[in-house]
Amino acid sequence: MQAFDYKYQQLEPVKSFKRVPGPEMYVPGHRTCAGCGPALNYRLVAKAAGKDTIFIGPTGCMYVANASYLCTPYAVSWIHAQITNGGAVASGIEAAFKVAMRKGRHAGPFPNIIVMAGDGGTVDIGLQAMSALMYRNHKVLFICYDNESYANTGIQTSPTTPYGAATTFTPPGKEIPEGKVLFPKNPPQLVIGGHPAVKYVATTTIAHPLDLMNKVRKALSQPGPTFMHMLAPCPKGWLFDEKMTREMARLAVETGMWSMYEWENGVYKYTNVPKKYKPVGEYMKHQGRFAHLKPEHIAKMQAFVDEKIKAVSQPIPVAAAVPGKQ
Amino acid sequence: MAKAKLLTGCRAAAEGAKAAEVEVICSYPIRPYTAIMMELAKMVANGELNAEFVHGEGEHAQLSVVLGACAAGARAYTGSSGVGVTYAMEIYSPMAGGRYPVQMSIADRTLDPPGDFGSEHTDAMSTRDQGWLLGWACSPQEVYDNTLIAYRVGEDHRVMLPQMVCQDGYFISHIPDTVTLGEQSQVKEFLPPYRPIGPLSLTHPVSHGPQIRPDQGAPMDAQRAQTFLAVPKVIEEATADFNRIFGRSYDPFVEQYKLEDAEIAFFIQGAHSNTARSAVDRLRKQGVKAGMARLRWVRPWPTHQLAAALGHVKAVGVIETSTSYGGAMRGGNLIHELRASLYDLDDRPLVTSFMGGLGGETMWPADFDHIAKILTQAVTEKKVRNYVQWLGM
Repeated sequence: MQAFDYKYQQLEPVKSFKRVPGPEMYVPGHRTCAGCGPALNYRLVAKAAGKDTIFIGPTGCMYVANASYLCTPYAVSWIHAQITNGGAVASGIEAAFKVAMRKGRHAGPFPNIIVMAGDGGTVDIGLQAMSALMYRNHKVLFICYDNESYANTGIQTSPTTPYGAATTFTPPGKEIPEGKVLFPKNPPQLVIGGHPAVKYVATTTIAHPLDLMNKVRKALSQPGPTFMHMLAPCPKGWLFDEKMTREMARLAVETGMWSMYEWENGVYKYTNVPKKYKPVGEYMKHQGRFAHLKPEHIAKMQAFVDEKIKAVSQPIPVAAAVPGKQ
Repeated sequence: MAKAKLLTGCRAAAEGAKAAEVEVICSYPIRPYTAIMMELAKMVANGELNAEFVHGEGEHAQLSVVLGACAAGARAYTGSSGVGVTYAMEIYSPMAGGRYPVQMSIADRTLDPPGDFGSEHTDAMSTRDQGWLLGWACSPQEVYDNTLIAYRVGEDHRVMLPQMVCQDGYFISHIPDTVTLGEQSQVKEFLPPYRPIGPLSLTHPVSHGPQIRPDQGAPMDAQRAQTFLAVPKVIEEATADFNRIFGRSYDPFVEQYKLEDAEIAFFIQGAHSNTARSAVDRLRKQGVKAGMARLRWVRPWPTHQLAAALGHVKAVGVIETSTSYGGAMRGGNLIHELRASLYDLDDRPLVTSFMGGLGGETMWPADFDHIAKILTQAVTEKKVRNYVQWLGM
């Protein structure tokens, strides 16, 4: 694999909240809902990345509710991509900056190129472009801000919508009492499992801001493609009190619905692992999207989570990393 | 002056892209345009061309990659054929609406089904309402030339639009013909470096492609329509400069072959015009006053130039190498726009059309004799019997 020999940034970890960079790169001017998880997510990512950044925003909530003509919330360069092609547009931008640096048109540093895609733009209609970006070894951070539905179009199911959730495409009814009957895709495992160019993958949530920012900074300091999966609860789609956005993300971790980890060169490092997991019902009871579920459905969800968190206690690399440094 | 070489249309396109010093290339294989990318891949691998060669995962990605590259200030290049062209359909309007002057080189191929490698223009013609510049070459030489002319026009700040440079699959893409490549000094004089407007930048942050309100839509659409009104002048300037610098003699919009005193004329674009041209010569020897108008740009459509070129002719036969099933004239596309172009003339020619070369079938000299016979009959009868006739049945 060709080495990445362009000058790029090394972003030091932020040691404490007091040392979080001051400048905001995602500023007022957007029209997101009260308590919007993805908006908070965007703000933290932009703050962590800083001014030398270019965002690619595939269609989704963070396009439709953010980037309005003559009123944009981005203090850094931003480009809309179709919901289908965030990974491909980012690839082209990265390639252009390589040539610009080779020809001396751009002195450097190599920009932090970040795709901020929703779950549909990452593992559904955007999967092909995301996977190709990861395969082709572009120096791009692809972030999936996961609000677990096509929220902007009115809360339709996506591949990360959890089992049992009511959405406008999975309404619970007499024939289908659970609403959603399928279990969700696992975005970071899709990346880790089949993309040898990728050396760093991490998960986090908007309830863990310092962790989130430091993982972003670490990802951006890599010479190749990186992937992050961020839980960004959606009050409108999940039907919880908008005051509880962060609480929802925290409960997701405490119940095992969400795991916090880094995967670096084939090695997993889990953090925020509860000593004792709370039952999933503690998470689900706050959310109207699960209100219709019967005890047997919640038991089914618990069994799914129990199986999933086994991996946390026994981390096994799913894919051997390519030996040697880049 | 550089020496003429024998090159295929694909090789000529690649040589044009190399001469233009394209910076980001995105490939995906599909016949027959693939050979363009094979040539460019070699040039990049050999260090002859300082470009990033990105292996797109499909045509949709090809267009998306070059969109991103162009937005970041690079001269970007891609291409496709047949169903590859239509697979990328979503990205044509963001490209044109975003005013990203990338170039897409197309070697035409039929659309499925059934699978067929032959040339048909429906692939690129399907994109004609997406806001791109669109035109056909009729020889490998013209493919090379159009590559440079299209970049010059598309990147002009009065234009800033993506371009499709089309050639017939196989007839042009794979049959070698003499091509004179320009000297790099000529290319430099003709084609300035790409100067992007408001590219993605770290020092001057910009937002590309935000949402608008419905009431903001019409003014933006009107602005694009205004732009297209300005394109012909830029094409004229670019073609004049090209002719002067490279010693060619292109008409900017319509090749007019023996039209001055013609009573019947073929109206055509692409490879089969070469057969049409020789048919004109043969018919003239037989005493038939035939001529040919060959279209070089479909977008912008040269309405007034066609009225001027064909207004005096008694009957025009449109040769259609693309389909528009269920359309007003029941056959192809070009006849609609040609008839519309001639409509305001007081004394307009009779116009009928002929579906020819479909599926990649050759158009034979006899086909043009047949067309001439029908046109002569129309002149005698002072009317056309049919909107369309299918050749090669």
